[in-house]
Amino acid sequence: PSTDMDAAVAITTSEKVVELLNQASLISTEEKLVILKQVQELIINKDPSLLDNFLDEIIAFQTDKSIEVRKFVIGFIEEACKRDNELLLRLIANLNMLMRDESVNVVKKAILTLTHLYKVALQCLVRTKSVSDMQEACWDMVTQMKDEVLALLDSDNDGVRTHAIKFTESLIITLSPRTPDSDTPKKHEGDISLDKIPKDHTYIRYDTLSEEGKFALEQLLKFMVHPAISSINLTTALGSLATLARQRPMFMSKVAQAYETLHANLPPTLAKSQVSSVRKNLKLHLVSVLKHPSSVDFHGQISTLLLDLGMSQNEITRCTPAIPQPRKRLQ
Amino acid sequence: MPVDPLRVAVVCSSNQNRSMEAHNILSKRGFDVRSFGTGTHVKLPGPAPDKPNIYDFKTTYEQMYNDLVRKDKDLYTQNGILHMLERNKRIKVRPERFQSCKDQFDLVVTCEERVYDQVLEDLNSREQETFQSVHVINVDIQDNHEEATLGAFLICELCQCIQHTDDMENEIDELLQEFEEKSHRPFLHTVCFY
Repeated sequence: PSTDMDAAVAITTSEKVVELLNQASLISTEEKLVILKQVQELIINKDPSLLDNFLDEIIAFQTDKSIEVRKFVIGFIEEACKRDNELLLRLIANLNMLMRDESVNVVKKAILTLTHLYKVALQCLVRTKSVSDMQEACWDMVTQMKDEVLALLDSDNDGVRTHAIKFTESLIITLSPRTPDSDTPKKHEGDISLDKIPKDHTYIRYDTLSEEGKFALEQLLKFMVHPAISSINLTTALGSLATLARQRPMFMSKVAQAYETLHANLPPTLAKSQVSSVRKNLKLHLVSVLKHPSSVDFHGQISTLLLDLGMSQNEITRCTPAIPQPRKRLQ
Repeated sequence: MPVDPLRVAVVCSSNQNRSMEAHNILSKRGFDVRSFGTGTHVKLPGPAPDKPNIYDFKTTYEQMYNDLVRKDKDLYTQNGILHMLERNKRIKVRPERFQSCKDQFDLVVTCEERVYDQVLEDLNSREQETFQSVHVINVDIQDNHEEATLGAFLICELCQCIQHTDDMENEIDELLQEFEEKSHRPFLHTVCFY
């Protein structure tokens, strides 16, 4: 195999990137995005050895006047950090800056990216035996950003709150232990969670993370009972609770309780059709919780709610898993 | 206005009448639109209410057209089905099933409550991956030519208003309520996540 040939290809890719980046600084937003996406493809997928070289040039677009270009930079940060976890140390400050952007669309994209990168950051730290100053600083910044997103549950903007709810959902899952009855989606099989955090780690504290997870759950439950919650936020939160119940059955009781409370006290601010939408969602999520084997202690509570929401006893029975009989011990 | 155009899906049961009428109008107005059905099969009216023509989603509009011409050209000309299939095959080759499409949308508009329920069930049964949000709105439209046309204009107006918001997610609630009042129809609305 000829290495000359490989080198020639590498030079061409690199030259191509330089050429594209030169073009990108001069043209309209729409064309710029096309070119930046090409650059991303070249340096993240085609030849990741170039990533380090061109990182600063791409990140420089974070101050571009176009919202779409700034959103692109956030997407790039996410892909780059997933490709090379070490880059998080350099890029977290940029993400932090973009999370304070004047455009809510940029802020929402940054929250979405933090949702994924929080897990990457924690995973990285867990893998490391001796944590460097830079890693400490990076984790501290991630933790601070996490707190800020939790605070955004109080944002004035409906869409920002929706994204904050999804972040909170993911955070609670990460910061609680996966158990044998956890219904974990295949795509998240390898995700970090509290049970994988060593109790003797040099920098991160298991107990602290555990407390942070519990606090996040409290925040979410508190958010749900706000009397003026919007219909979309409520819908989002109902879905998050169902996800939590299935992936972390230890919270099943809190979730069932929250559904019951909500059903009895739908926010008075909802319009008639919004009430129909919310009730329909509640039904859908209650059924998905009912189907989980660990909901067995709550079948009565859930069935009552479903009957109230207009489901027939027959339908409810069909969605209820058979209670497994304890196996007789074999001699 | 965002540079990224709104990615819209319009969904009815068989991807023939209501969703295709809306697909037609929305694409003429420059929307990034696709259309789907949620049924297990594609159903078209037959010689009697209990004798519908049933096809699978693999059958092209052209094949359905030829099949109906062969079966009873006069009947299917008279009831407008051939005309509809002719229009449909100008838009795309065959009907598509929503549940089989893994592409992401910003907005999914359904044409009846049962279809809305099926879309929600499908979206909620998928494994969450990106957490990208998708808004699902139901607009009840009766399954006949006239209502499909009126419904398509309403969907189009709705999409135009949504496209022109500076911040769709923050304004959509209010926008829908205005539309409800104007059109005297209740809309179901929810958000799901990919």
